[in-house]
Amino acid sequence: MMRTVRFHGRGGQGAKTASRILGTAAFIEGFVAQDSPVYGAERRGAPVAAFTRIDSGPIKQRGVIACPDLVVIADASLIQDPAARVLDGVNERTAVFVNSPLTAEQLQAQTPLLGRLTTLDLTTIALQQCGKGGAISALVGAVAGRLVGLRRDSVREAIARELADLGLAATQIERNQAVAIQCYDTVRTVPVAPGAPQPTASARLQVPTYESPTRGTARISAAANSILRETSGWRTFRPVLVPDKCNGCWLCFAYCPDGVISMAKDDRPVIDYAHCKGCQICVHECPTEALVAEREKEGTVAWKAK
Amino acid sequence: MWQRETFKKIKQIPREEHVLPGTALCAGCGGLEALRLAAKVLGDEVVYVNAAGCFTMLAAYPFTPFKGSWLYTTMGSAPAGAQGVRDALDVLIAKGRLPERENLKVVVLGGDGSTYDMALSSTSGAITRKLDFYYFCYDNEAYGNTGMQLSPATPYGARTTTSPCSLQHPSGATREKKDIFEIWRAHKPPYIATVAPRYPLDLEEKFARAATFTGPKLFLALSACPTGWLYDPGETPEVAKLAVETGLWPLKEAINGAVTHTYIPKPKPVEEYLKLQGRFRHLFEPVVQTEAIAHIQERVNAYWEQVEKTEKAV
Amino acid sequence: MEGEMMTGNLAAAWGARLADVDYIPAFPITPQTEIVEALAKWCESGAMAARFVTMDSEHSMMTAAGAAAATGARVFTATSSQGLLYALEVLYSVSGWRAPLVLVNVSRALAAPITLEPDHNDVLAARDSGFLQIHAETCQEVLDSILMAYRIAEDERVMLPVIVNLDGFYLSFTREPVIMPDLQMVKAFLPPFRPAHLGFKASAPHALGVAVLSGTPYSYFRHQMHLAAMNALEVHREAAAAFEQLVGRRYDVVEGYRLDDADDVLVMTNAFASKGKAAVDVARAEGKRVGLLRLRVIRPWPADAIRHALQGRRAVAVLDQNLSPGQGGILFQEIAACLYHEALRPRALCSFIGGLGGKNLSEGELRTVFEQTAEAGVQGKGIGPVLLYTEAEHREMVQLQDLATEHRA
Repeated sequence: MMRTVRFHGRGGQGAKTASRILGTAAFIEGFVAQDSPVYGAERRGAPVAAFTRIDSGPIKQRGVIACPDLVVIADASLIQDPAARVLDGVNERTAVFVNSPLTAEQLQAQTPLLGRLTTLDLTTIALQQCGKGGAISALVGAVAGRLVGLRRDSVREAIARELADLGLAATQIERNQAVAIQCYDTVRTVPVAPGAPQPTASARLQVPTYESPTRGTARISAAANSILRETSGWRTFRPVLVPDKCNGCWLCFAYCPDGVISMAKDDRPVIDYAHCKGCQICVHECPTEALVAEREKEGTVAWKAK
Repeated sequence: MWQRETFKKIKQIPREEHVLPGTALCAGCGGLEALRLAAKVLGDEVVYVNAAGCFTMLAAYPFTPFKGSWLYTTMGSAPAGAQGVRDALDVLIAKGRLPERENLKVVVLGGDGSTYDMALSSTSGAITRKLDFYYFCYDNEAYGNTGMQLSPATPYGARTTTSPCSLQHPSGATREKKDIFEIWRAHKPPYIATVAPRYPLDLEEKFARAATFTGPKLFLALSACPTGWLYDPGETPEVAKLAVETGLWPLKEAINGAVTHTYIPKPKPVEEYLKLQGRFRHLFEPVVQTEAIAHIQERVNAYWEQVEKTEKAV
Repeated sequence: MEGEMMTGNLAAAWGARLADVDYIPAFPITPQTEIVEALAKWCESGAMAARFVTMDSEHSMMTAAGAAAATGARVFTATSSQGLLYALEVLYSVSGWRAPLVLVNVSRALAAPITLEPDHNDVLAARDSGFLQIHAETCQEVLDSILMAYRIAEDERVMLPVIVNLDGFYLSFTREPVIMPDLQMVKAFLPPFRPAHLGFKASAPHALGVAVLSGTPYSYFRHQMHLAAMNALEVHREAAAAFEQLVGRRYDVVEGYRLDDADDVLVMTNAFASKGKAAVDVARAEGKRVGLLRLRVIRPWPADAIRHALQGRRAVAVLDQNLSPGQGGILFQEIAACLYHEALRPRALCSFIGGLGGKNLSEGELRTVFEQTAEAGVQGKGIGPVLLYTEAEHREMVQLQDLATEHRA
């Protein structure tokens, strides 16, 4: 029976590669597999999704998985982001993995989720064992492989194939394999019930009628409304001001690409956290170490300006 | 000696934002950093005419970051779109159908892929016709929106997804970056400048100067790209700084064809710039590509020797 | 004789002049060039209050045209053949902006091999671009159709650009009498261009043609263009009535010629339809009950009018002056599709390909078309695609090939 897995991540985290690792691992084990990303405007930090289908025979499906057996969420902030639609088609029978430092119970208490929940803090594992954050594709792929019941060896081999395809050096691949297999072994398993029923009711059509091109063409007359779109979820780290150290030099304001830093009357920066993408340019460029990077939701200072 | 006349202190950078946040551009985008600064001088009475590229994502239905207007054209013809908008505004104002106070500046936005190759015909045409417009090229030295393929702006030695390193070509891209500045200059427009957002006062000054000219005003903005150049997004200003300080990205302007370098670096070795970026990592490991690095250095040296000769002579 | 002698090209230029356009981006290409030459002269002399700009390519020309219309100017431009295809990408943009300009295409066959004389593969390549299409048979119709095109394009229910097509050489360089509409009548017919959704200005900024990132808005906006194009049928009807009232000439989406009691009907477009009408007269004189249906508006596709004209006939022949390799005639397919559900559909549908690259369509060939169509009607079985190519032409071709391949010292 077909098993279906939907991955959610942010551009640059490796959701697409994770879906490929899972697909390749299943293929190595003799299954028919199909993996595909949602292509489009994904940018580093923007919500992305990818899909893997695994079956013993030919797969007569394509594209989006509306009701997956397993949802793998590489970035917990996506749960709150309606645009990411991570909870689409999730019900009591869906297995859900979230990359989070919280336990399933803690997360459940914080954000009630349907489905059988399991968590592991992949970001911290990656930061501790691979140095910087960034792509956690091998880790996510390994966890998914474990949850759908693929073998350790095939997951390890799939990681090697997919990361080599991305041009990673052999040493990096080995490091990734080791850390990923550690995640494979650590993640608390939940049952993944294959063959989630896909919606089959006939669609109710509503064919649009003509309207004036003021609305009926790809036109935006609401000026500068991008402000309505928050990008806070893109951050792994947030810049935080240490007011005593700030010399009011304006450099953070000058260099911020997104214009999310404004200068108050007293020449102190005010950061618009709803839109800061966490690039850390301000932290890097602050000459007095008055801006520090704090891990989101952790509260501890991770690193300071050079 | 070139001196800034309007923008002398950093606190003169206007506080008001004209490109608002909430766009889908990558965290740490050097191109957006440059555009944001440029827009502080350009203001809101602008219609941006966009060519296909990363900046396509700036205005994506139903959101726009601009208080001004926007028209998305094609990869090859944004300057022609600017021509149509400019001419129509002029005609409508002349015929009294549009009050003069409704007039707008017309600003083309194009990446290097569009600017250096596909839109070269339409750019050449627009400059030749003395179109009164701004051209803002965000140069991230590859086709970025499609995932970093070789463009004519890719510098010698850089690895892109279509200039991979191989045993035959261990140094990546094997041909030199096209000199679009000189191609533009051959058309003798009133104003051309290179800018780097790490030098915001230089950038603001140049946009302020350009505003005094009627006709084509062309800007080439170094747009360091963490996604494609493979460095940490927080290092965007550092990368831009080293591009300038190693002499690889000269800051200059050309007024009616006469070139002035607006900043003369005390040149650092090019390795300092190259080493910071994953797209040049193969020049240093597993074996150091000494010849390739020396080649890059020699070309920089030759450039600045020429600058010294010509600009001293003036 | 009323009117004055002028070429189709000059008639097209007069259409733009009478429509009082604001802006003309241009690029020369045979056989269109005379249009832009005339307009350049009139703009220079002040006879027209429009700005004329020679662009660097048709791609740029079309972009400038669309951008100017998007800024609120009434825009005219013209091209042909290779130029239309070079601009093709931009056609889709301009229609997507819902910028209602008028583009004249002077049909010329496409390379390779390159040639100068007409067929309709060029204009039909733009069939799905969202531009409406009006195909003219006479120089008079070229002029009148341009005026109608602006009125239809600029209607709030439509807001789509229009291509007015005329055949290279057979109309473009052919002079015949054309009656100039009175300027005051044109003003009454064509209200000022004041689009609600277009026009860049400081006080009302907007973003146009922005990217959409999913199929939901994309489907919606493209479907709106379809609805707009379909609205153009009704708007055309109104425009035709108003034009007839003011100017005294009437143009419908299709034109029937001696259809009343016709058993067999020949379907044609553009200038060669005149030859088709002459062939109908010849056949009628011999007692054959034949007629001709000329398709004038190709987009929107006037399915009801076509069904009405063709229902109950014994046989219908479509003479396509185009060729889709691997399929056949392009308009034949559309005719066949719209007759499928017709209860009284013709017993036979015949497909003929003729006039490619401006190849002459002789009276003999048209007679053959009627004969084969009548036979197909009797048999109740359609034929084609049949290439109209005579034995004499074939002999000539063999001679040319011999010259091309055999070296004679």
